[in-house]
Amino acid sequence: MIPRPFLQPARISTIALLLAGVVLVGVVAPLHWATLSGAGLGLTERAVFLPPPEALRVASLGFNNVAADAIWLLTIQYIGGHIFTERNLPELFRLVDTVVTLDPHFVEAYTLGALFMNYSGGNVPGAIALLERGARANPTRWEPPHDLARTYFLDLKDYPKALHWFEITDRLPGRPDYVPRFIARLYAKTGERETALEWWQAIRGSATSDWARNIAEREIAKLERQVSPPPPKRTR
Amino acid sequence: MKISAIALNTFREAVRDRILYSILAFALLLIGASAIVASLSIGQEGRIVKDLGLASSNLFGTFIAIFLGIGLVFKEIERRTIYAIIAKPIHRFQFLLGKYIGLVLTLLVTVGVMALLVAGLAWATDGHWTSGLLGAAALDFLALMIVTAVALLFSTFSTPTLSAIFTLAVFVIGRLSGDLKLFADQFAGPGLRLLIDGMYMILPDLSRFQIGAQIVNAMPLAPHQIVWTVMYGLAYILMLLLLAIGIFQRRDFK
Repeated sequence: MIPRPFLQPARISTIALLLAGVVLVGVVAPLHWATLSGAGLGLTERAVFLPPPEALRVASLGFNNVAADAIWLLTIQYIGGHIFTERNLPELFRLVDTVVTLDPHFVEAYTLGALFMNYSGGNVPGAIALLERGARANPTRWEPPHDLARTYFLDLKDYPKALHWFEITDRLPGRPDYVPRFIARLYAKTGERETALEWWQAIRGSATSDWARNIAEREIAKLERQVSPPPPKRTR
Repeated sequence: MKISAIALNTFREAVRDRILYSILAFALLLIGASAIVASLSIGQEGRIVKDLGLASSNLFGTFIAIFLGIGLVFKEIERRTIYAIIAKPIHRFQFLLGKYIGLVLTLLVTVGVMALLVAGLAWATDGHWTSGLLGAAALDFLALMIVTAVALLFSTFSTPTLSAIFTLAVFVIGRLSGDLKLFADQFAGPGLRLLIDGMYMILPDLSRFQIGAQIVNAMPLAPHQIVWTVMYGLAYILMLLLLAIGIFQRRDFK
């Protein structure tokens, strides 16, 4: 009796399918599982190993905006993944720097990046540097100078610099209505009461609501009491 | 008349090609998926839909231009149908122009479908119409017309594989020509700088046609810049077609 070879065509198909199943269960699925459970590159590692922006610019074949969007999505995941764990976000500056190098006109990347850098990362100089870069690259947009003014005003209490940036914001289209009121208050805070008075008078003149007009009148009255010389003493 | 007959025939042939539908399906899938990706961003949904949509339309349009463009003349030679065509009272340049216009018509339809989908998605995401999005797609289309002319030029004297490689190389260099020039100015020695400057003068500068970033970031566009870009594009296409006609006219089909 002639022995039948083990590898018959019908068997080969069954063996191949079985082996494929073994490879899937034994190798492919565990590797996928390892990636899912964090054994692969985490968000921080992906941020650390991010190529320099200049290299990304070339690699993206000129589709710089798409590359900037992809890194922005990674940045958001990085912020979301770290905001409740470690509060210093060490890779945030690098990530946002990459985004704005790829697309210097991505204004929201400057403002949101600086906001998280400042309030979650505690990196105020980094936030200021980022916003100044945003203001230089987008001289017609009010958001970066406005956020610089807010940072100097609220966080650093540097009123002359806050005033400088609010004045720049005031000249730009689309700026919020409250900017002139901040400028007037900052002039008063920095001791230039005459200028503050002029600003409040201008605000009263251009006010479109009673609410704004009332504020202006209240502030004018307050300043006039401070500016005008004290009334002469009456003698009996 | 002869040119339009060949153009319509080329268009009909192209729309029957399965590769066109495969590429278009992938492009529409990616443009549609941009809406899902956009939902991961904070308040930047519209931006991501527009960026990814315009890039997909441009990239897949380029694939269509290359993969259909490289076979325009070669297929006719391989099937030996070229002998029947050139034996008829028709000039070779008419044949070549008809082929080019036919493929450009195909691209117009496919890029138009993609651009309308991007504009529709952007409208649905932002809640308002983004003016200039279709203008950006139109300039992208002009860049695709250049890539098609490059593919046609190579297909007049080379094999499809080599034509695809050459056209892809021209596309990549064209997209990066601005960066290449910058690199040469900053780092290269005199010899390399001369070489890169020479390449910059000859090869198409496709980065000129990318106004998507300005549209997405709501930046003002200078009308004279658009006019110059359109003139540049048309002049470059004319130059490429004249070169292709010059080579094809001399070609011996024995």
